[in-house]
Amino acid sequence: MINIDIGATAVAVLTLFGIYSLMAISLNLEYGVAGVPNFGKALFVSIGAYTAGITYTRLLPLLAGDIAIHPCGPTMGDALQLRSEIMASQPAAGFVNLGLTFIIAAVAAGAVGFAASYVTLRLKEEWFLALVLLVGGETVRILVRGADDFICSHNGISGVAQPFYFIQDPRTSALFFMLLALTLALLAYLYSQRLLHSPYGRMLKGLRENEDITRGLGKGVSLARAQIMAVGSVIAAIGGVLFALNTGFVNTNDFVVTLTLDVWVMVVLGGIGNNRGALLGALLIALMDRFTQIGAIALNMSGSEIEFNYVRFIAFGLILLWMLRYRPQGLLPESRLTTGAHAVVKREIGALQ
Amino acid sequence: MTPLLKLHNLRKDYGGLRAVDDVSLAVPEGAIIGLIGPNGSGKSTLINLICGSTDLTSGRVVYDGDDISGMRPDEIFQLGIARGYQEPSLYFKMTALDNALLPVKNQRGEKPWYAPLWRSWQNEEAQHAKAARDALEQVQLLQQYDRLASDLSGGQMKLLEIARALMGQPKLLLLDEPTAGVAPTLAYEIFQQIARLRDDHGITFLIVEHRLEILFDFADYVYVMHLGKLLAQGSVDEIASHARVREVYFGD
Ligand SMILES: Nc1ncnc2c1ncn2[C@@H]1O[C@H](COP(=O)(O)OP(=O)(O)OP(=O)(O)O)[C@@H](O)[C@H]1O
Ligand SMILES: [Mg+2]
Repeated sequence: MINIDIGATAVAVLTLFGIYSLMAISLNLEYGVAGVPNFGKALFVSIGAYTAGITYTRLLPLLAGDIAIHPCGPTMGDALQLRSEIMASQPAAGFVNLGLTFIIAAVAAGAVGFAASYVTLRLKEEWFLALVLLVGGETVRILVRGADDFICSHNGISGVAQPFYFIQDPRTSALFFMLLALTLALLAYLYSQRLLHSPYGRMLKGLRENEDITRGLGKGVSLARAQIMAVGSVIAAIGGVLFALNTGFVNTNDFVVTLTLDVWVMVVLGGIGNNRGALLGALLIALMDRFTQIGAIALNMSGSEIEFNYVRFIAFGLILLWMLRYRPQGLLPESRLTTGAHAVVKREIGALQ
Repeated sequence: MTPLLKLHNLRKDYGGLRAVDDVSLAVPEGAIIGLIGPNGSGKSTLINLICGSTDLTSGRVVYDGDDISGMRPDEIFQLGIARGYQEPSLYFKMTALDNALLPVKNQRGEKPWYAPLWRSWQNEEAQHAKAARDALEQVQLLQQYDRLASDLSGGQMKLLEIARALMGQPKLLLLDEPTAGVAPTLAYEIFQQIARLRDDHGITFLIVEHRLEILFDFADYVYVMHLGKLLAQGSVDEIASHARVREVYFGD
């Protein structure tokens, strides 16, 4: 038998839920609402994680009043010890560093998202963007992996501690980090709800449904799409920063295509175009992650040699097939109204009668 | 009167096919101009060329004194040229009201930085909602305002398309068979509505229409296309009695 610590599991699942929610909301805005098939989600998440890898090794020591030690090669151990000590003893430096990490990651990812969309979507074929980002994400990953000094190639950067690491009790520390992740997810959700139920959201839905007509009705389609890609990429990169802090580790291996597919499963499962659906999808995948993991461990202990990842892939495949067959709109279908205009007209009609 | 729209030698080739062949015509401001011709004569292609949704092979489109050839469809719409489509082309997954609201120009809430700040655009949106209410009422669709466009009848779809185009406050409205799929009495009412829009708001119309008996009651001037070329032009009486037109159109 394996012992499951219910409290710790709940905190771990909810933290993961917060992080996945950011990714799912980001894809839901891009694909669910605007119809931009972003198959490069892993790229934008990784921009957040790589930024954390850079700031924790280069910026954090400076903020703490120390001299940065080169994080790779022979000084790797010393550098790791230095940043662990700073994170354990100087919370202020840790928080300032994290704030700057969010800002840098957001600016970098937003700019890449905007540029990628603007360049490729002018070519009219939106699936071209999907392909460029899919291949581009993998190319960037291989380049980062190959660059010795960036995040130490295949070694990655460890000791990317979450900002509450200074709290002695690991359970309390984890609880605070969970609250941070959930708060950011909540903010992203509220923001995206407001965006969705606005004239901008209406225009995005319009260009998802019929690009030619939307252009014919005077809308600058390329710009609107580039803007939503920028917004989505910022949210994804913030998720990426948290993703790195959650594992304490920045490594290119985490940002392969399967991460992109995970996010797609969340959105397709929860409900395309529905932000609540994105949250639901994120929650279900976070739960599944934990329980397939526990299940796989249990199976292994009973002598089976099934790997965790296989269990997960099979489960995802089955879910997608089932959804496509029985509920293509997802668990939560999208709302048909956009702004408050319907209430206005309803009131007007009521006043006449 | 100076023409609001002038086409100079428009041409469109699809591979070997010359869909529009050296067409020049003028649409005076405040007029209702008919564009007729047998199936495949190039009428819809001509509309697409004016709106910029199809690229010209050669020729010039001059609107309000400016050469607009080669401009993007969204730019042309912003200048005041709106259109209806031959096939129903609505946002079928949106309500009738949202269909009408989408084309409103210069919406503050359409800017992504204002969009999340509901207060910054809510008053404006309420004004637009009232304008959309009026537009829907004009085409007798007010009761359907919160129905999905896909749930409307074929005739209602055509009407909603006109209402939607009007929400962009166009100076020139290009309509491709506005009465297709509409019952005869309603078809006549649509044209009465068009005449009212011209009289009250000064909107200019270029209308492709196969129902000649209705069109001829309302049009000021008619162009006839055949195999991509302009075959004839003139007043309704001249066209109705034009021998070549009767030959290609009515088969007499
Ligand atoms: N995208 C296209 N590619 C190739 N050929 C086209 C295309 N669009 C139109 N055509 C051809 O151009 C010619 C003119 O077509 P168009 O649709 O303009 O005719 P129309 O006068 O609107 O006919 P209808 O009254 O049937 O609507 C036809 O021969 C048509 O097959
Ligand atoms: Mg046609």
